[in-house]
Amino acid sequence: MRLYWGLMFLAHFVFCLFLCLQLRRVCMINEPLPVWSNWLFKDYLFFRPIEYGPLLLGIVFACLQFFPEIIAKRLRLVLHLPLREDRAIGAHLAVGLGLLSLAFLPGIGLLLGYSSIWFPPEFATNFVYVYSPWLLGGYAAYLLSSFILLEPTWRLRVFYFLLSASLVRLFFLPTNYDSFSRILPWLTLLTVGLVTLPLLSANRFGKGYGT
Amino acid sequence: MKIIARIILLATGVLLLSHYLPEGYRLLIAKKHPRPPIVFYSCVQKEFLFYRYNDHGMTFVDEKGTNYVRETFEQLLPIDNYLQLLRNDTLPKDIDGVPLIPDKIKRERLSIRIRPEMLDTPLVPLYPLMEAENGRVRLEMPNDFMRLKDRVEFVIAASNKVDSAKSDKFTRVFVKAGFTFPPRIVAGNATTLKPYDEGYFLVDKTGVTYQLRMVRGEPDLKRISELVPLSSKEQWETLHPKFIHVQEGETHEIRAFLISEQNQTFLVVGKDYKLVPIPLDHYDPSQMNLVIRGDLLNRLVTAVTEDSFEAIALNRNYEVLRRYHEELPTLKFTTASRIRSVIFPFTLSFEDNSTNYYGFFFEHGSPAAIVLNVLLLIIVICGIAYCRKLNARRIPDLLSVAVGGIFGVILLLLLPKVDQ
Repeated sequence: MRLYWGLMFLAHFVFCLFLCLQLRRVCMINEPLPVWSNWLFKDYLFFRPIEYGPLLLGIVFACLQFFPEIIAKRLRLVLHLPLREDRAIGAHLAVGLGLLSLAFLPGIGLLLGYSSIWFPPEFATNFVYVYSPWLLGGYAAYLLSSFILLEPTWRLRVFYFLLSASLVRLFFLPTNYDSFSRILPWLTLLTVGLVTLPLLSANRFGKGYGT
Repeated sequence: MKIIARIILLATGVLLLSHYLPEGYRLLIAKKHPRPPIVFYSCVQKEFLFYRYNDHGMTFVDEKGTNYVRETFEQLLPIDNYLQLLRNDTLPKDIDGVPLIPDKIKRERLSIRIRPEMLDTPLVPLYPLMEAENGRVRLEMPNDFMRLKDRVEFVIAASNKVDSAKSDKFTRVFVKAGFTFPPRIVAGNATTLKPYDEGYFLVDKTGVTYQLRMVRGEPDLKRISELVPLSSKEQWETLHPKFIHVQEGETHEIRAFLISEQNQTFLVVGKDYKLVPIPLDHYDPSQMNLVIRGDLLNRLVTAVTEDSFEAIALNRNYEVLRRYHEELPTLKFTTASRIRSVIFPFTLSFEDNSTNYYGFFFEHGSPAAIVLNVLLLIIVICGIAYCRKLNARRIPDLLSVAVGGIFGVILLLLLPKVDQ
């Protein structure tokens, strides 16, 4: 797990570094004025290619964390320990969300820090409003993947997958400047609420449905 | 915790289904929407003429419904079709004593289009303030961008640093003019592809309107109410615009289009910033597209929605010459649309014509949808009672059916039972 997390962290960070170098190249070979004008009036955001990065990391991380536990049936053992079921799964999720944040945050810090060399603080605001839905989408993808993986029956897995896909799509609607700003608090609240869903599947998993 | 998870699952599910199912249904019943006609005002016939669309293509008709062949139609609109008439050598010499000179016709043309979402759109609050009188043939972009918050700041793009000297100079002028920071509106056209520069129309925190230009490097900030004749001074002071669109045309005649706090629409005309009200009866800025077209002789204003349009023709003194209003055929009352409003108690979309921000935009179904919800709720309660499983833990399930109707029922059929 440590190896896989390390690789994910590295992949994300290196990609962010690549985007920074690309921004440097754009700023070096062009006059600053057209670069700023493209940002202000044509919605040029150098970090756009990272859009689906958090989503991918969220899904992969959930698979890496829960697949081996389910296949080797270790999770069922955990659920039968004299420990509250929601605490056991909650601990798994807390570790997962923490490691996911550690994988995301250095890359985000790099993008924000490097862009502040070339752009004014308005760009950082712009970055936060554009990137936040993608980041929340990454967390939502992790929680919903866990929700699907922990569900013991295939019928419900398929239904949960369809529901999750239609929900995650909302985090990746086309965005420019701060078009998400009015629904961002609701998306954040929703993402926090999604933490409870894997507990529902884990409860069914522990009861042995589908076996 | 399990019950909280179920509530979240049901609430999210109902909201998602209320978005995707109506969308799917909409795709299924997709039908060609009747296009609103294109309106013209004929300076020859002194009435409105239309391009109307039907199943066979486009027809050329007047207000009474008389059909014209294309060539005759073009003759009735000599200014709109002056290039074609020139080619045919049929362009009249003058109309009502006004000579039709091609260069003048071209120069006097103007077009302003206001879409609802322009009133509420996300922007980065940095503005290029051009040199308005640079002594060059073309306007040039400045090397810095203006920031208007609690003071004026100019950020130099090359160094990403604030130009303190220029910022201080402009801030002093703003303070002297009585400008209250931060501005509510900063309206201008950040492009060099215009014949001249009006600068920015600013509305300060208290609702007072100013115009800012940069002339030979110096700030030129005017409180508009101080530039106008005494008769319209108070009108400008109490206007409190909520939207301004700056117009920079060849003739310098119309300076801006604005919408006041009370949803009144005005054109700002001429050197003395005369406020000319646009006398539309049915214009709703948050729903309708507004088009103002002008030519050598007249001004034509049209406000269009999917199901109606209004047109007024004005002369060059902005006096109403003729009005026209028409209800258009709509798809709202088709059988498929009626079924939709009964099946779905509400629909949710994340985008709306009135804004470029995402939001939760709900559209309610018909009253019959509420009846259907109640019926479904009774059926579900009977079903659960028959299985002897009616208890307090069923409340979220029942609420999802009571509120979401068909959406709730679908979820109850697909989700695991509450006790599983």
